Amino acid sequence: MKTLLFILIVLISGALAGTVHGIVNLGIVEPYLDQAIGIENQNLFEAGKEEDTPQFWAEYSAYRDWQKGGQVLAGAILGTSIGALFGIVYAFSRQILPGNNDVKKTFLLAGIMWFTLYLIPFLKYPANPPTVGDGETVVLRAILYLSFIAISGFGAVGFYQVYKRLKQNIKVLALVGYAAFIGMTFVLMPPNPDEVTAPMDLVNEFRIMSVLGVTVFWITAAVILGMLWHKLRPDSEISIK
Amino acid sequence: MRYTEQVTSTVSKPPMLAIALLAVVFAFGLFIVGYDQGHLFSIVQGAEAYEELYMHEMTHDMRHAAGFPCH
Ligand SMILES: [Zn+2]
Repeated sequence: MKTLLFILIVLISGALAGTVHGIVNLGIVEPYLDQAIGIENQNLFEAGKEEDTPQFWAEYSAYRDWQKGGQVLAGAILGTSIGALFGIVYAFSRQILPGNNDVKKTFLLAGIMWFTLYLIPFLKYPANPPTVGDGETVVLRAILYLSFIAISGFGAVGFYQVYKRLKQNIKVLALVGYAAFIGMTFVLMPPNPDEVTAPMDLVNEFRIMSVLGVTVFWITAAVILGMLWHKLRPDSEISIK
Repeated sequence: MRYTEQVTSTVSKPPMLAIALLAVVFAFGLFIVGYDQGHLFSIVQGAEAYEELYMHEMTHDMRHAAGFPCH
């Protein structure tokens, strides 16, 4: 394999898809973040911790502009990171993924990774807008969330090994096994300890937009990696016989 | 008479060096966006970084949007 080319197309596709994710979020997620932080500000005023003055709002908007700019940059960083994992898994699974071209293969793999590493953990520990999370529990919540992602991801790899070994007519058992395993994990893992005090409409709409944004990321990453791989074939080697 | 034939073959084993490097990129990026609470800048700035949380503020919105635990 052409090592440098492989690394480059993986990093570039992740960074581009992450940038797209950040830009999409500016449009669809930021309005909900603004609303949630607006509620936080009201709470601060009512508690007497801040005063509702033009100076407060000037500082606040400079701070929010910085955070919004960060959304796109952080998207690129996160995209590069998740894209690196996507590239690693693709390099190992390309030959066994069905489909006659790279874009079909990357799409299928992206779908599996989106489902096992994002959607399933999300159903147990859904995204929350600001004001919902308690600072005291953030470490616990981070450990729970990351553990669930790891359990689901390694579970999928494990049941794939089972799938490979099963006879054709009973392969579906591996899927049933994964579903049962995740179902059990779902029940056994402790719930998010924080109580949602923000309006439920706001929280639910925020969650929908969050899922849409992450889904856009996976689709974009699949298209770009698939197209670059197809065009540049980092895994091909030309030899003279 | 001998023929030479050009063969394009698919190499199945990904290079371990590349895999290791990408794994580091994965872990580092995930940490910055998902879990950093000022650790990174504290290397150069000292304890002050924890007050400022620059990196945290920058990655903050994406952190919520991508579903990572936050405030
Ligand atoms: Zn937050």
